Amino acid sequence: MLIIDALLQGILMGLLFALVALGLTIIFGVMDIVNFAHGEFLMLGMYTVYWTSLFLNIDPLLALPASAIMGILLGLASYYCFIRYLLRGPAIAQLFGTFGLMLFLQYFAMFLFKTDYRMVEKGLLVGKSLSVGPFIFDWTKIAAGLLSLISFIVVFYFINMTKTGKALQATALNKEAASYMGIKTDRMNALAWAIGGGTVGVAGGLLVNFYYAYPMVGILFVMIAFACVALGGFGSIKGVFFAGLLIGILEMVFPVFGQLVGSDFLGPHFKVTIIYLAYFIIVVVRPQGLFGWRQ
Amino acid sequence: MKSHRWILMFFLVFMGSLLILPCAFADEKEIKIGVLYPLSGAAAAIGRDLQRAAELTADIINNGAPGVDIPMAQWKGIPNLGGAKIKLIFADHRGEPDRGADLAKRLILDDKVVGLMGAYHSSVTKTVSAVAERYGIPMINDSSTSPALTQRGFKWFWRATPHDEMFNKDLFELLKGLTEGKVKGVKAVPKKELQNLAYACENTEFGSSVAKSIENYAKEYGFNIVTKLLYSANAPDLTSEAKALVAAKPDAMLFTSYLSDALLMIRTLKGMKAQTKFFWGQDAGFEMADFAKTLGTDIDGVLTRTVFIAKVTKVKKVAGQINAIYKKKYGDDLTGATARSVVGVQTWAYALNQAKSTDPKAIQKACNELNIPAQELVMPWAGVKFDETGQNILGRGLIGQYQKKSDGKIDLEIVYPFELATANFIYPFPGWK
Repeated sequence: MLIIDALLQGILMGLLFALVALGLTIIFGVMDIVNFAHGEFLMLGMYTVYWTSLFLNIDPLLALPASAIMGILLGLASYYCFIRYLLRGPAIAQLFGTFGLMLFLQYFAMFLFKTDYRMVEKGLLVGKSLSVGPFIFDWTKIAAGLLSLISFIVVFYFINMTKTGKALQATALNKEAASYMGIKTDRMNALAWAIGGGTVGVAGGLLVNFYYAYPMVGILFVMIAFACVALGGFGSIKGVFFAGLLIGILEMVFPVFGQLVGSDFLGPHFKVTIIYLAYFIIVVVRPQGLFGWRQ
Repeated sequence: MKSHRWILMFFLVFMGSLLILPCAFADEKEIKIGVLYPLSGAAAAIGRDLQRAAELTADIINNGAPGVDIPMAQWKGIPNLGGAKIKLIFADHRGEPDRGADLAKRLILDDKVVGLMGAYHSSVTKTVSAVAERYGIPMINDSSTSPALTQRGFKWFWRATPHDEMFNKDLFELLKGLTEGKVKGVKAVPKKELQNLAYACENTEFGSSVAKSIENYAKEYGFNIVTKLLYSANAPDLTSEAKALVAAKPDAMLFTSYLSDALLMIRTLKGMKAQTKFFWGQDAGFEMADFAKTLGTDIDGVLTRTVFIAKVTKVKKVAGQINAIYKKKYGDDLTGATARSVVGVQTWAYALNQAKSTDPKAIQKACNELNIPAQELVMPWAGVKFDETGQNILGRGLIGQYQKKSDGKIDLEIVYPFELATANFIYPFPGWK
């Protein structure tokens, strides 16, 4: 029973982890850039929902479109005002550039919102639980899991079923060839940043229902997101989905396993090690990740 | 020719004095103390409060505070150093021990500070104090509570706050008091109803040393530990930790957490409608102003060990006076952490005044012989007096309980020591419906 409970909790968190990592993998897939500021996009998504729900006095879930729009605009602004210029420099400049963007956004948020911890206090689902037999689920986590899944399906459909999505995939596979075929790769790059920002903005909006927003919150989640991207295969959308689920499930099930065995050593304090051990094993056995393809 | 030589001599002496005098002048008029706090990162909110309290105390020492009845508030500088002003140079270690050590080196070598203060996180204090020891620079610690810090035989490290061993003993005295009917407003609870304890401590120097100490005291006082958890304070999710606690059905849940993880843990436990009879936090996150502000009535019945509670201001005049200045300026009452920051800067000022010099050896001697009387402290302590390990032996802890008042607001009441109790103890812990 404990294992089933942990499995279900793990799936809910895993879906959210996957959505956080989705934008990171899309941007990497299309442009080969690791966006270190991804966690800060998440943090701004959290603040957007927090402030929108507070000022407009609406349910935080209804404020989700605001965080999506903020994410999209932030992604586009980052690309057109900053990243596009970094592309002219060496790869190391891109690395340090997004790292600089991360620091800028962190300290800008600190300047705007101070270091206070902010949480959504009112909302349809906030603070409410669903009891089903022996299981108790936080409604906000159920909503986060389900809406993450829906967001994932929408993006997956867009990328695989629409002409623009296919052009994005073509750009990811071979930029030069895509350009010869008449695809405007610059626009595709911007689109990748818009989708990346939008999805992580939504993830932040879902997260703030049960997690606290503060300027440095991004780093906690972006580490998991990096592990998801590497585990699933750099640039693979399917990969990041299953890697997110795997990490969420491992994180929840492993401590319960330790509890059932009666070992303190296998307790929750060991869970992060297990996540990175799984990552290590998969990278050794399949360097391209679960769903990545060999170069 | 001879007169030319005299003119040249005079010129050289004049130029030399120009070089030397400003240094001597600066030495007398400004004393630099390096203060290391976490001003960004997960503990930034705490760091900001600590910085405010330290700055306010330095301001009281440098410029005086008419309504405060302690000699320090009339000094307007350090009297025995010609009225020299204290200048605090803040450095942000972000909660990272290696960064703390680098910053300490920079403060000592580049900024030429007279001494150091900080660093809040025990793990950072450990590395910073090691740097101070290597360079022979005094460090006065205000609020790091890992017992190991004063067990290293250091000659340049003094700690004003009581440490976790002392606080943990208070916890077990309170548990024992509950079983003996000593707690205000609660009849004796049969020991078997409080027998099983569970702890969840963050896994750095602070939490792991508390965990060890809890285990030792549990054995000494005859309690069982049914679940032992060490977790990362930076974890994005604490559901599995909370599940493990709930599944063990302990009579008492004990925590050692910084702010973000304390908030997340309570929110997660609330989501699971966790039940227990006694819910205690080891200071840090549990007693920060943001803790009560953010969680509101969700913490009704939660206990926190601390060294200062706003209620102290009602029984201690000086505490009330300094708290009033702090509250007027920043809107919050002093907390255990910020009040210790006040005492940290105050200890520095008294040590400098007693040393009558900024020479490290003179300060070392002054610290070893220091004796600040109880009536001059904001804390409900018997004073500040260091033993040979550098530990203040006159400090004591308090245990407070957050209680929901009739107006719906949350207030922190003193429940231990029993003789200082300001309200009836809420037992059992009301939990979350």
